Formats: sequence, structure tokens, C-alpha cells
Amino acid sequence: MDANLVLLAIVVVTALSFDFTNGFHDTANAMATSIATGALRPKVAVALSAVLNFVGAFLSLKVAATIATGIVETGAVTLTVVFAGLVGGLAWNLVTWYFGIPSSSSHALIGGVVGATLISAGASAVKGAEIVSHVLVPAVLAPLAAILVATVGTYLVYVLTAKVPGKVRDRGFKYGQIGSASLVSLAHGTNDAQKTMGIITLALIASGAIGKDAGTPTWVIATSATAIALGTYLGGWRVIRTLGKGLTDIETPQGFAAESSSAAVIFASSHFGFPLSTTHVCTGSVIGSGIGKRLAQVRWHVAGKMAAAWLITLPAAGMVGALAWAGANLIGGSLGVAVVFLIALLLSGGLYLASRRRPVNADNVNDEWTGRVASVPAVRERAA
Amino acid sequence: MSDYIDLDALWKVLVASLLAGAGLAAVFSLSLVGLSSGRTAGRAGAALCLLVVAAGIVLGLYVMLAK
Repeated sequence: MDANLVLLAIVVVTALSFDFTNGFHDTANAMATSIATGALRPKVAVALSAVLNFVGAFLSLKVAATIATGIVETGAVTLTVVFAGLVGGLAWNLVTWYFGIPSSSSHALIGGVVGATLISAGASAVKGAEIVSHVLVPAVLAPLAAILVATVGTYLVYVLTAKVPGKVRDRGFKYGQIGSASLVSLAHGTNDAQKTMGIITLALIASGAIGKDAGTPTWVIATSATAIALGTYLGGWRVIRTLGKGLTDIETPQGFAAESSSAAVIFASSHFGFPLSTTHVCTGSVIGSGIGKRLAQVRWHVAGKMAAAWLITLPAAGMVGALAWAGANLIGGSLGVAVVFLIALLLSGGLYLASRRRPVNADNVNDEWTGRVASVPAVRERAA
Repeated sequence: MSDYIDLDALWKVLVASLLAGAGLAAVFSLSLVGLSSGRTAGRAGAALCLLVVAAGIVLGLYVMLAK
């Protein structure tokens, strides 16, 4: 019983940590364009986004069918599998953050859970068709849909306001951009915090702490909302930089069109039940805003790097998830999970220290793009 | 309908997001045109445009949260 409680506690802490990384990884989705265009000062932008994520987490309390049960057989989901899946997702989130690549937190989590399930229960426990239809196909369609909407939106915005005096135009779109970015933040809190709530509820049920049909306990909602908001406030500056400065040079009207497109696609996909990743949508919107403005240039090699990262998200997170499960299983019981947890903690700490060598923060997030995320010694990176 | 792509949901998402994303952005742009025209009719038109945008946002929030 006690050992079980320790195990459960570790799973909950890991889930909240994942939620936290989900927050800072995805701040960029809503706020990268507003920060890049100067519509909001960096610190104000992340604070606004954090508050809206927090509020968003409380808005819809119907926890979406938990991410894990849709793609693997429910019987295969043990506490250790949930834990290992979370470690896989966490690891992928941290590594992509380090390289400043916007990448889907849900995909990372799904990859981790699938990897852990594959090694613990075998291939038969993984619903292959579900993964293709709910994860892989949407991953291709999400950016394409967003590119289309943002391209059309940006084109219209520029054509319609061509004769509007620059001062009115910039002011107007500045407010418009803040508004649409706020909607994206709100939607993010609603959709993404629920994934963590779902995972924690699943863990509570799996351990017998609450009944099978019990709803999400209030403390789970409150802690998940807090974790994602804190993460958002911390600001994933490295990812913000890539999305805001790396893909294309964004002007205020483009930022407005991009965020409107993101908000619309996210709302529509959530309503019609077509699971699109927020990150894929927002990246597509930024690319579209580059295409839609005539002569604006999209740095396709940066976009290509992102696409490559998206392709390996599932297998990479899956590998870590499988490793984490195998490690925990080898040692066995709560001790095994505790050991893996400590190792993950140490590795994360190491990555954080590594990131301090070339930090990206509120002060240098908008520096001229020189080919790399953290190009503090700018001279050396000229070639790229 | 394909097993792997929910085409029905997909086209609805596309139409809705084009209308809401690009359409409302265009309406908002028109409000700026109206505002900068300096005429009363322009301002009235701008107010109307902003109302449409606000209605769209409320509708969007409503459908997302009503699930």
C-alpha cells in the first residue's frame, strides 16, 4: 500500500512536470509572433499567456478521453507504463526545447506511452490504425490547413489595408494580434492542461485511489492549471525565438493574420473532433503568413528542420518511454520507478545547465536571426 | 470515406477555419479601412465590422466550450 502510494506520487509529480514543460514549450505558439512584432513586451506576453492558460484549464471540465486510452489497450496501461510514457514525452520536450524546435507535446506524450506499451505488453496492445488516423495523418494535415488559412488571411489583410495609413494600420493590428493570440492561449490551456488532468486521473484510477467512474478531482485540475501556467510564464524563449524570428520576418499584420488563423483552426478542429496539434497549426500559420505577404521570405531550411523533428517525435519519445519502462522494470517496483525518476531528473538538470551556456531569454529573444537559436557569439555563426 | 482520414470532419474544419481565420481577419481589416476614412459612414461601418468579429469570437468560444 505504502509502496503503491510512493509510486502514485512519483507518477503525479512526473505528470505535473510534463505539464510544466508543455507550458513553456508552447508559449511560443500563442506569443512568438506578438513578441517578434513588438505588439507585446516579452515579459508581458508570457504573463498574459500564463494567466489565459490558467483560466483556460478551468473552462472546460469535461476531460477529453485520455490520450493514452485512445491509442493503446486500456488493460495494458499500468502505473509504470504511464510513468515511462511521461518520461518519454518529457525527454523529447526538453531536447526539442534545447534546440529551439517547436514540437508537439501531445505527440511526445503519445510516443512515450506507445513505446512503453510496446515493450511492456507487445505490439498487439497498440492500436495501430488509431495512431495513423488520430496522430500521423493530422500531423501532416495540420500545418497544411494552417498554411492555407494564414496565407489567404495575410493576403487579404494586406490587400484590404493597402491604403490605410501606416499608423492606424499598425495600431489596429497590434490590438487585433493581442486579441487573437489571447484566444490561442486560452484554447491551449483548455486543450493541453486537460491532457495532464486525464493522465493523472488515469493514474489515480489505475492505482485504485479513486473509483473507475470518478470525475477529475478538483486538486488535479488546480495543480495541472498551475503547472501549465507556471511553465508558460517561464517562457520557452528558445522556441519563441525560432518561431518568431527564425521562420520568417513577421510584421504586425502578418502576426495578426497568423494568430487569427491559428485560433480559428484550433477552435474548429476541437469542435469537429479532428485532433490537430496546436504546435503544428501555429507553425503552419507562421509559414502561411510569410507566403501570404508578397515577396516575404520563408526560411524553408528552418521549416524543414522542424518537419524532420516532427517525423522523429513518435519514435524518439517512444524509445525513451521504452527505455524508462525497461529500466524501472529491471529494478522492479516503486524503487525502479524512483531510480528512473532520479536519472531523468539528473539528465534534465544537465540539459538545463547546458542551455545556460548560450541562454536565450527575454532580452535577446528578438535579436537578428543568424541561423541558430542561441547564437550569442554571433560572429561564429555567420556561415549559416 | 477513408478509414484513415475523417474527410467529413476535415472539410468542415477547413471551411470553418477559412471563414473564421481568414474571413474575420478580413472583416477586422475592413474596420481599419473604415476608421481611417474619417467619414461618419466609415466609422459606422467599422463599428459594424468589429461587432461581427466580436460575435465570431463569442461563437467560437461557445462552440469550443459547449462540448
